Amino acid sequence: MKLALPLRLIYLYRNLTRNPLRSGLTSAAVALPIMIYVLSMAVVDGFENFLDNSARQLRLAVTQRTSIINPLPEGHRRKIEALDPEKTRLISVCGLRYIGGQRENDPMPLSTLAVDHDTFIASFPEHQLTDEEVDAWLRNKQAIMVGRGTAREMGWKVGDRITIFPSVPPYKLIEFQIVSTLENAQDFVTNWCRRDYLEEELKKYGAPSGNVTFFFVKCASREDLDHFRGAIDAQFAGSLDETRTLDEKTFMNEFVTQQFNLPRNLTILAALTVFVAVMAATNTMSMNFRDRTNEVATLKSLGFGSAFAFSLIQTESLLLCAVGGLVGASVPFVLFTYTPIRNITIPLIQTLEIAPSTCIKAVGMALLIGIVAALWPAWLAVRMKVVSALRSLE
Amino acid sequence: MSTVDIELRKVRKVYFKDRLEIPVLEGLDLTIAAGEFVVLMGPSGSGKSTLLHLIGGLDSATGGSVRVGDAHLEKMSERERTAWRSRHVGFIFQMYHLVPVLTAAQNVELPLLLFSMSSSQRKERVRTALEVVGLSDRADHRPNQLSGGQEQRVAIARAIVTDPDVILADEPTGDLDAKTSEEILELLNLLNSEFGKTILMVTHDPRAASHGQRTVHLDKGVLDREELNPARPRGAAAMVS
Repeated sequence: MKLALPLRLIYLYRNLTRNPLRSGLTSAAVALPIMIYVLSMAVVDGFENFLDNSARQLRLAVTQRTSIINPLPEGHRRKIEALDPEKTRLISVCGLRYIGGQRENDPMPLSTLAVDHDTFIASFPEHQLTDEEVDAWLRNKQAIMVGRGTAREMGWKVGDRITIFPSVPPYKLIEFQIVSTLENAQDFVTNWCRRDYLEEELKKYGAPSGNVTFFFVKCASREDLDHFRGAIDAQFAGSLDETRTLDEKTFMNEFVTQQFNLPRNLTILAALTVFVAVMAATNTMSMNFRDRTNEVATLKSLGFGSAFAFSLIQTESLLLCAVGGLVGASVPFVLFTYTPIRNITIPLIQTLEIAPSTCIKAVGMALLIGIVAALWPAWLAVRMKVVSALRSLE
Repeated sequence: MSTVDIELRKVRKVYFKDRLEIPVLEGLDLTIAAGEFVVLMGPSGSGKSTLLHLIGGLDSATGGSVRVGDAHLEKMSERERTAWRSRHVGFIFQMYHLVPVLTAAQNVELPLLLFSMSSSQRKERVRTALEVVGLSDRADHRPNQLSGGQEQRVAIARAIVTDPDVILADEPTGDLDAKTSEEILELLNLLNSEFGKTILMVTHDPRAASHGQRTVHLDKGVLDREELNPARPRGAAAMVS
């Protein structure tokens, strides 16, 4: 049968181009969900990578046991540090207080955190700050390090004096001076300012002070991480401000999914769009079969068996969906790998990386759509009684 | 040149529609000699096409036996009948049933995909078949570029390209004008007389029937009568049992 391939290919090609609009729309109906799948999975993968990076930092997050919205007293820091006075296993403890904020007359929300300036550098080494940046940070109480994505969005640069209206007390404009745009950090959205300066501002306006939203505790090893996770909570057990200590990956995962379970929702969205693609492709293949019932009946009368009829419908469906899958997977891959689209200052887009493995999975999924979509019409072709089909046409 | 005889014994065929039993053939006996050109006539619903389908292995009899050459079709599975049909039977339909996206030559080549032969062998077979039906110059035309008569010629070429023992034609001129019909019938005559093909043709048209050596009339699923055509005497004996 090998030598018979060319006519089979010709027949296959002509069948696919018999109704170019229908074929094109079907491929597009597969390409679009595959594109959504690829982008969704890229976001999910990005989130997973973010969590994995968090896990690599060997940090613990300490929050109020009752809820993250209840603050912890800043005095907890000394008590946590006291668990390892030599600082060989517990490298640093950094208090963080959420500010959020926005520019005056600009509704765009900012992600700003006030941190203990003396332990921030040791606690977050992944920011890879230069000596000049560290020096400016330690010297200037009004120092703020802004994420490079935020800086580009706002048109900020190092040396600029900026004002931020905080989302929390004292609800008064606070002035900062930019000392870094965090060019080497993975996180390019968050802004970091000094908590001692915030405390001054809070006191100035009589707002509650001396609290942090959570602590980040940097450990020396994974064993230390496990050890202090229990030790910290034990330290504050029975006190007015009991703690809940989690490794950073678990904390981030809980924090993000409590607000909006993006990975789960994106996975559901991707699954739904793939289901839509299956329905669209099934509809097309059913119409293709219905339009060519006489042809399949004739082929069967010539001696082509049920297996041929089955493979004919299946192959057409596979090819249509393969084209859709290739387009759907390659367009986002090319866009986010080789074009300047990633320069757009939208955090989600800037962090998006389309892994080749995701594209391969997507094409595999498109092929699966093709197989599933053609199952019913192919089965009808197998079951079709030649005599009945011919009689209905004569 | 290959040819076989056909023998049907007490053939019954019953269809079921909405659980109702509809008898189409009721104990039919028929023998067709090798190389004979037999015409089947009868009113609508008399079982002509059903008989053709049983002989061609497209359908199976409810009872009785259908033998074509050495093949006892009633003992064969659908898969076996399909494989047998590709080698021993050529079908010609009233509506031609050509594949519209393929050229005439490609349509004729289609049945050869079921045979193990080289591309050049297939091309040679296709060329010969198209020559026989007088359409060598239309090999690269698609069905929509051909007249009805030419389309039927392509269908005949497709039916003979595998050199089948039997040609089964279901109202092959039913959709053609008188002049074209005559040409098609002459072509069938040629296949019978020159190439020795056993031909069984269903028709409503008495003029078409005059091209056969024998006309068998069916009525209500049984043989009503038969007529020999003196203008076309046959070499081999054939009989209605």
